[in-house]
Amino acid sequence: MVKITVNGREIDADPKKPLIAACHGHDVDVPHYCYHPGLSTVGSCRMCQVEVQQGQTPGRVMVACRTYPAEGMVVNTESEKSHATRRECLEFLLKNHPLDCPICDKAGECDLQDFTYQEGQSTGRSKEPRRPLEKRHSLGDVIVLDQERCILCSRCVRFFEEVPKKAQLTVSSLGSRSVISSFADRPLTGNYQGNIADLCPVGALTLKKFRFQARVWNLVKQASTCPECSRGCSIQVEVLRGGDVKRFRPRENQAVNGWWMCDTGRFSFAHVNAPNRLANALVRGEQGLVERSIEDGIAAVRALLDAQPQALLVASPFCTVEEGQAILALAKRRGTTPLFVAPGPNGLKDDLLHTGDPCPNRRGLADLGFQPIESKELAKQLAASKAAVLFGERVVELAGQAALAALPASVSLAVFDCHAPDAAACTVAIGVPTWVERSGTYVNVDGHKGPISAVKAAPAGVRALARHLAALDVRVEAARS
Amino acid sequence: MVIVKRKELSLLERLYVPEIARGLSITFRKMFEKKITRQYPEEPLPKTEVTRGQPRLVVKDDGNIACVSCGLCEAACPAYAITIDGGETDRPIEREPKRFDIDMLRCILCGFCEEACPKDAIFMSDELELADYSREMLVYDMEKLKRPAAAMRKRIEYVHKINDRWRSAPRPPMLADQHGAHGHAPSASTAGSHASSPTAAAQKPHAG
Repeated sequence: MVKITVNGREIDADPKKPLIAACHGHDVDVPHYCYHPGLSTVGSCRMCQVEVQQGQTPGRVMVACRTYPAEGMVVNTESEKSHATRRECLEFLLKNHPLDCPICDKAGECDLQDFTYQEGQSTGRSKEPRRPLEKRHSLGDVIVLDQERCILCSRCVRFFEEVPKKAQLTVSSLGSRSVISSFADRPLTGNYQGNIADLCPVGALTLKKFRFQARVWNLVKQASTCPECSRGCSIQVEVLRGGDVKRFRPRENQAVNGWWMCDTGRFSFAHVNAPNRLANALVRGEQGLVERSIEDGIAAVRALLDAQPQALLVASPFCTVEEGQAILALAKRRGTTPLFVAPGPNGLKDDLLHTGDPCPNRRGLADLGFQPIESKELAKQLAASKAAVLFGERVVELAGQAALAALPASVSLAVFDCHAPDAAACTVAIGVPTWVERSGTYVNVDGHKGPISAVKAAPAGVRALARHLAALDVRVEAARS
Repeated sequence: MVIVKRKELSLLERLYVPEIARGLSITFRKMFEKKITRQYPEEPLPKTEVTRGQPRLVVKDDGNIACVSCGLCEAACPAYAITIDGGETDRPIEREPKRFDIDMLRCILCGFCEEACPKDAIFMSDELELADYSREMLVYDMEKLKRPAAAMRKRIEYVHKINDRWRSAPRPPMLADQHGAHGHAPSASTAGSHASSPTAAAQKPHAG
């Protein structure tokens, strides 16, 4: 550690990390485009220039991402000289930028907008027309490149070289005609393409699935944990007007996912946005499954549990630790060991983030004392049993919709799931919230706890699983007292 | 405590007759003067370009909506009357509204949307009447809001005149696909935009 002075304040800086990291670490804002803490530095945007004075030499303007702290360095990020240099840099960056912010998806979270506003560069002096380039250049299934908006920071190029370690993009052509392009115009491949849309400081790289879906300031954002695999990447869930989830974006968490997340997780909102949510309760009567009140549904589950003391209690791996505890309490009272559906590896495992295990809370439930059980094995046990209660989000899907439908009619099945099951064997079905509608904790494969947080309200008539379990318990409490 | 002392009335005042005569003289005088009341709705209100009626969306001369669903009017609206959902188009301007609702019951006709719009797409029309049989029918969708640019010309020119007082650079051509000038045949599309835009005909193309 060396002592440097930044804006008159003495701070300890790591001489192995660039000056800009020291500044950011001490709440000193230095504008930057090409610098990213997760990538190597190239110093190509020249936006992070600050005035640096060392020893007896007068202050010089230097790029903070390629300068390393040294003992006694005096840095001024707000001096007139550094502001002037940054303004000049911005003028060049904006020279060919199309300024189609009203159309651009990045507007509102765009570094170019923010720093232009911050540096007070409101008018350009250039009279020449901007260079025309391709506005809609497809880079595979995930990403669209707008070559006009690109400021050639090369973050996306370095990302593919350094994170998935498979170079796919490069800067081609010369001078003002330079563009980002993939090798031989091949579409991008891999499970980490979506990250370059987050990395892009301007709106040049956009996600095909998010393109023109929403204005970013209309999105309600909430920190959460990705349930796609047992890695449990820290993410941010973004919802438009309390309705559909529009995107998931990674949150920085050095212990788990760094700055990144995989595309499988990033685009896994089909399930939470799916219509046909199961609200209230479906109870099997003489006319088949009929919608009834939640109280009637709970009474039916209670009757089922009373009639069948050996009923299997099966949780979904999407159950949080808190929900797991509630199920465990029920199981303990009944003297059984609860199970949880644990499908085998889904073949998406890679050496970066994805674990290939589709159970987000495998570790959390196993630590509580739940027994993992494969889908096929579960189908066998269900067929052999008289009754079972399935708890939690996606439990029907993971246990196998077809396997449940094939169960003999003698098995009575109670299901707590988000979506209406069409299992023939189902006796009662009660709706529960999805993971964007409830809060709790997942424990990832390495034992790190990740929060999931409610970002929108569950549909009317849907109550939390723990509340259903408490309602199941009411009669037991009354009998005890 | 306040003691109110009533005025002693004179005999003439107590008679009332002179006062009645005085009042009636005003009534009869006004009867023969020019009327200042208006027979609304038979007689329409006077409307000028300054009239700030309900907001309407401009349809450009090429038949496309000028709005790109940037959401600034939605953000500026103090009454939360506007809801926009965008979507992709094949036109050179890549984005257009798929849904543009203004809840006319919420709209307070403040004109912030017109002020916020970067694309000259929403203007306060001179339409003021608002009556219908249900609340739902007063949430106007895009089809109800669309008006051809020609019908709004006076207001558009008035707003431009006001805003140009703060402009340092000439106003870029309006009501044409500005991105056409970006494309691969800039000369052709720029010429097209001039032909379709009389307000901008005298101005320099694509300065901003």
